[in-house]
Amino acid sequence: MVALLAVPLVLSPGLVNAAIQMLIAALFASAFNLLCGQAGMLSFGHAAYFGVGAFATVHAMNALGGAGLLPTPILPLAGAVGGLGIGLIAGWFATKRTGTYFAMITLAIAELLHALAPHLKGLFGGEAGVSAMRMPALGLTFGSTTQVYYLTLLWVLASVVLLYLYTLTPMGRLTLGLRENGHRLRFLGYDTHKVSVLVFAISGMFSGVAGGLQVINNEAANYVLFDPGLSAAVVLNTYIGGVKAFLGPALGASLMTFFGYAISDVTQSWLLYQGVLFVLVMMFMPAGLAGLLGAARALRDRHGTGALLPVLVLAAAAALLLTAGTAFVVEMLQRIFSQDYRALAGANAAAPWPPVKLLGRSWPPATLTTWLAPASAVAFGAALAWLARRRLHALERRRERDASGAESTTTAEVAGGAV
Amino acid sequence: MSAAILTLRDLRKSFGSTEIIRGVNLELQPDERHAFIGPNGAGKSTVFHLISGNLSPTAGEIVFDGRRIDGKSPQSINRLGVSRSFQITNIFPKLSVFENLRLAVMRPRGLQYCFWHRIDRDAVVREQTERLLEQVRLQARADTIAGELAYSEQRSLEIAMTLASDPKVVLLDEPMAGMSNEETAYTADLIREVTRGRALMLVEHDMEVVFSISDRISVLVYGEVIATGTPEQIRNNASVKEAYLGEEIA
Repeated sequence: MVALLAVPLVLSPGLVNAAIQMLIAALFASAFNLLCGQAGMLSFGHAAYFGVGAFATVHAMNALGGAGLLPTPILPLAGAVGGLGIGLIAGWFATKRTGTYFAMITLAIAELLHALAPHLKGLFGGEAGVSAMRMPALGLTFGSTTQVYYLTLLWVLASVVLLYLYTLTPMGRLTLGLRENGHRLRFLGYDTHKVSVLVFAISGMFSGVAGGLQVINNEAANYVLFDPGLSAAVVLNTYIGGVKAFLGPALGASLMTFFGYAISDVTQSWLLYQGVLFVLVMMFMPAGLAGLLGAARALRDRHGTGALLPVLVLAAAAALLLTAGTAFVVEMLQRIFSQDYRALAGANAAAPWPPVKLLGRSWPPATLTTWLAPASAVAFGAALAWLARRRLHALERRRERDASGAESTTTAEVAGGAV
Repeated sequence: MSAAILTLRDLRKSFGSTEIIRGVNLELQPDERHAFIGPNGAGKSTVFHLISGNLSPTAGEIVFDGRRIDGKSPQSINRLGVSRSFQITNIFPKLSVFENLRLAVMRPRGLQYCFWHRIDRDAVVREQTERLLEQVRLQARADTIAGELAYSEQRSLEIAMTLASDPKVVLLDEPMAGMSNEETAYTADLIREVTRGRALMLVEHDMEVVFSISDRISVLVYGEVIATGTPEQIRNNASVKEAYLGEEIA
């Protein structure tokens, strides 16, 4: 909390801007997870509600000759209304079906908006989009990134708190019932279609707030907001964070947004890493990062921090080495297959392939030593992972032995007492 | 006889060209316990699906409390006062036992599309949920995940969920399936107790239970009621013996 408040004081404006993006992504993922994780409806087109919220906000900013329909601090309300409205309409259709069909309808609705937006110049500003200006209000200019950061933080925190309180209400419990067994709910007297539309609309509303915050930050909105990539990103972020924990999606979204910001400058393969990470999470920890934290806490409670520390160090080192080795190979290949390099190598077919620059060094791609580095990193990493596993198993065994040992001691004592 | 609470008139249901229910007539009294028996595939569960709105009849009428309910949605039929359980346990398996029952209690209490107050602050809902838990002897299991209950406990939970809305007509589809003798005896007593002052329709294969609980019994064979009467009349009915009961009762 203090860390969130202190962000603009200690970080550079670039990083503050990244923090704003992280907050917005966290809210968007939390809103999405209301539908996906809590109600069990996987939407593949949530960019639609984010985008409509964004455009509603940009038009609210430009309304009344640029004076703005609402003062800047409450502009995201326009996004909320936009997201809620489109959520009600789209939700009414989409929730007529469940499962795959539901997902397909949400995808189609988002694609419809994405295809339509560039042609509707009045509403979406064509390909160029619509831009706007943050107007001063309440004695604040909203001219600096710092002020925008605090505005975003306030809205994101308030929205996430509201989303959490929602889970404690009758409607929130009903949402879980819908995920678990919508059929039974109908025979308890609930209109499940109405419940679904409401959940959908509320999810759309908070997505709209996130979209509105994005516009306030960027002072522009463009049809690219409806891009399927954004719909996909929120699904990936949510699952990487973990759908079962309330804050999981927010965690996943902020981390992935941060990595996107930090790494996309360094590598062109960011999307590949994102995909690999998603596959790994789904394969090895389907409960996501939140699930990983939960499992780590359970282990600590079982064995104590001291006993667990070597395992954690080993596991972290293994993860680091495996990542480094894989990343090296990916980056090398990416450079070797790049057009520039192909042209360079093809210029003189007789000569060996020229060396590749990576990490400030030159690596000749045709020699064994170049590939020995990542290979040994991966091999060491795998060995460390194996060691970590063994230590963990040893801990488990010792615990079991202690447990049965304690039992036999008490039996002995009882027997001794009897004698 | 008083006016019937539930009337089936020439009720029919076809799937494609196959007629599964072939003209069922029945008048259920407001405080009557009425059992459906019959061989597998006779259409007992289908009759329940038609009454509860899970399926729409092809022809015929279902009148509840003076009102046509055939073809209405399950939720509106439930709200009018007809509540049912399912042959295959139909609960919220990943939610706690308490949460399962609370979901059943919330709606009759008028809480559904409500996001302005906290559910755990509602004393009436909590008390009703706890009372139902006690009634089906699940109070010790309140925090257990419903899917981890023993099968018979899940059946009890479903009975409690069915009763939560204080319905006028209760439809129980094989409530004793999978229960031990002791559990069956307890559940039979429970059903007697909780359906006092209500109409009960029961599908059950345990003949001892059927004959001890019911005021009247209907025998359904190939989608037709071949006999309706008191347990005594059914026991002595020659065509029933031939079609279904055989040596089981004799």
